[in-house]
Amino acid sequence: MNQLPWRLWAAQVAAVMRLELKKSFFARRGLWIYILAAMPVVLFTAHTISERADVEAVRARASITPQQREEIREGMSRDEVLAKLGKPFSSETRRRRNNVRETLWYSDGQAQFQVILRDDKVVQTGVNQGGSLGEDWQVFAAVYQYFFLRFAIFFGCVGVFMNLFRGEMLDKSLHFYLLAPIRREVLVVAKYLSGLVATTVIFTASVALQLTAVFALYDSNTVDQFLKAAGGWQQVWAYLGITPLACLGYGSVFLFAGLLFKNPLIPASLMLMWEGVNWFLPALLKKFSVIFYLQSLCPVPANPMGDIAAPLRLLASTAAPTPAPLAILGLLGLAAALLALSAMRARKLEINYSTE
Amino acid sequence: MTPVPDSIVFDNVSKFYGEVLGVNRVTLTIPPGITSLVGPNGSGKTTLMNLMTGLVQPSRGDIRIRGVKPSEPEKLFRFLGYATQFDSFPKGATGFGFVYGSLRLLGGGHADAEKLAWQAIEQVNLVEAAKRKIAGYSKGMRQRIRLAQAIAHDPQVLVLDEPLNGLDPLVRAETIAMFRMFANQGRHVIVSSHILHEVDMISDQVILLSNGYVVAEGQIRGVRSEIEEHPMQVLIRCSRPSEVARRFFEHEHVVEVKLHSDRGGLLVKTRDADRFYRLLNQVAMEGVDIDTVAPADDDVNSVYTYLIGAEEATK
Ligand SMILES: Nc1ncnc2c1ncn2[C@@H]1O[C@H](COP(=O)(O)OP(=O)(O)O)[C@@H](O)[C@H]1O
Ligand SMILES: [Mg+2]
Repeated sequence: MNQLPWRLWAAQVAAVMRLELKKSFFARRGLWIYILAAMPVVLFTAHTISERADVEAVRARASITPQQREEIREGMSRDEVLAKLGKPFSSETRRRRNNVRETLWYSDGQAQFQVILRDDKVVQTGVNQGGSLGEDWQVFAAVYQYFFLRFAIFFGCVGVFMNLFRGEMLDKSLHFYLLAPIRREVLVVAKYLSGLVATTVIFTASVALQLTAVFALYDSNTVDQFLKAAGGWQQVWAYLGITPLACLGYGSVFLFAGLLFKNPLIPASLMLMWEGVNWFLPALLKKFSVIFYLQSLCPVPANPMGDIAAPLRLLASTAAPTPAPLAILGLLGLAAALLALSAMRARKLEINYSTE
Repeated sequence: MTPVPDSIVFDNVSKFYGEVLGVNRVTLTIPPGITSLVGPNGSGKTTLMNLMTGLVQPSRGDIRIRGVKPSEPEKLFRFLGYATQFDSFPKGATGFGFVYGSLRLLGGGHADAEKLAWQAIEQVNLVEAAKRKIAGYSKGMRQRIRLAQAIAHDPQVLVLDEPLNGLDPLVRAETIAMFRMFANQGRHVIVSSHILHEVDMISDQVILLSNGYVVAEGQIRGVRSEIEEHPMQVLIRCSRPSEVARRFFEHEHVVEVKLHSDRGGLLVKTRDADRFYRLLNQVAMEGVDIDTVAPADDDVNSVYTYLIGAEEATK
């Protein structure tokens, strides 16, 4: 092994990456990758901002205490309620054919309290506590698995990795690399690493911002407790760690696809279909996909079984998800195999600008 | 095939692009010195150069460049530089950045690459424009920066696809002088051209290509005199064309001059290419801006038909 010129290869990889990173980060073709990465950040930020506005409003309108809330019983009259709680901050009256329904809203500073009256008698009361971190976390987990992994990172990698060779073939600038004293294998690795750095930075930053947006809604005690006591940290690190692995897996798939196909839509849709039916594949075939490993690593398991019809459920093989170390090894193995195939393919690569 | 370590060897090489023939059954041994590949468009010059450098792979046959296979880029491009015909560059590159970036791919450090890059840029007289973006370069400047990139690592084998195309007569003369200097140092300088007159005087050897076949190979000077009797048509785009036309008419080797209707150029028919090009140089030095010099196409083809016909007649 020592005879191999590792130092030279490292220097060449660095030289290629210096040229490639600029392209991966700033390519006009790559603008939509930023849009994909920004979408969930915008979603969670908007949610936090609107929720926070609600919380502020509840606090500002505080006119009763939680104890006062307890005193309201079904059957009380409107006057009794007003005597105990005072004027509500808002009310609404609906006249029906045979009765009058009225809703009164109060705030105790923490939650909204509503009193529903029919014909001036209390028929129902309710407390609206707003969202909880636990609920928001479920939403985050779902968005991460069904949008971020399967869609945003997936298509982000289509954009970055498929263009590593194909894009330069279109720009007619690939020959500069092929005319340098670089083994094609080294070139493949260098380009792959450039794509990996770019996608990892973009998508991991997106996850970090999403998490920040989700936590920003809650006070530091709540967040602390969630992170420390409820095993939150472990999950946060898991999401931050799965993201680069997703880029690594999908990256290797689309690097190879970019060396095989001219039109990115073909491999992208084939892959989307293959991953889509992953649940129904026999255990062995499952392993030839990226999502299988990523899914096994996700802290909150996805449960598509709940959403699909019973007859289909029978078709799905019920292999247990792979333990984390095996899933990581599996993913690395898959990526290494695809890199090797890409290198073989690159050795056969010819410059063929005219017919592109 | 006996190996010739210092030569470029093609052994029965064919290249098909699907059904389309690129080159067929090429067997060549090219010694150091200036070798010109000459042939009309589509005759296989670029294909031959791409085969030599591994940009395309032979469908059949075997190629060695000073003993190295084109499929070993890590060895080949240590001593070979190739300026392709592709007029495209990495996006947003400056002249210097382009040459420097490709030098770094050799695996060396910053200082070395920087020094070599400036040396090469100086050699092609582009120092002033080096920090500007290539996108704003003229055709001749782009041609020269590609040349700089090809020679920057001081290669023993230089492969240059139509390197004189787009150069004005002065730069053309300088570039040819550089080729001569390289050849005298024992290097291979392989250039291509679709204009025989452009390269035959400067070449130690000419390889004539037609429709993917090598039709003649060797020193071309013998054939030259025959061509001299065959008038050649050249298209010139320049400033003050009517003045230039008057100048040309004073010479007896000029058979015919036609001004373009847009007053932006002229067509000259001459019987003596050498004297014609010398005259053109003179005109350029007198301050006429010359934009393009190109052989009028059907005439090139007729020269080839003539030439190839003559070649077959001598067999
Ligand atoms: N990538 C390609 N695909 C298909 N045909 C090609 C390709 N490149 C060249 N050819 C064909 O091969 C022949 C030789 O072309 P080329 O080597 O470019 O000639 P030249 O450089 O002498 O103009 C032409 O007929 C051309 O159309
Ligand atoms: Mg050509």
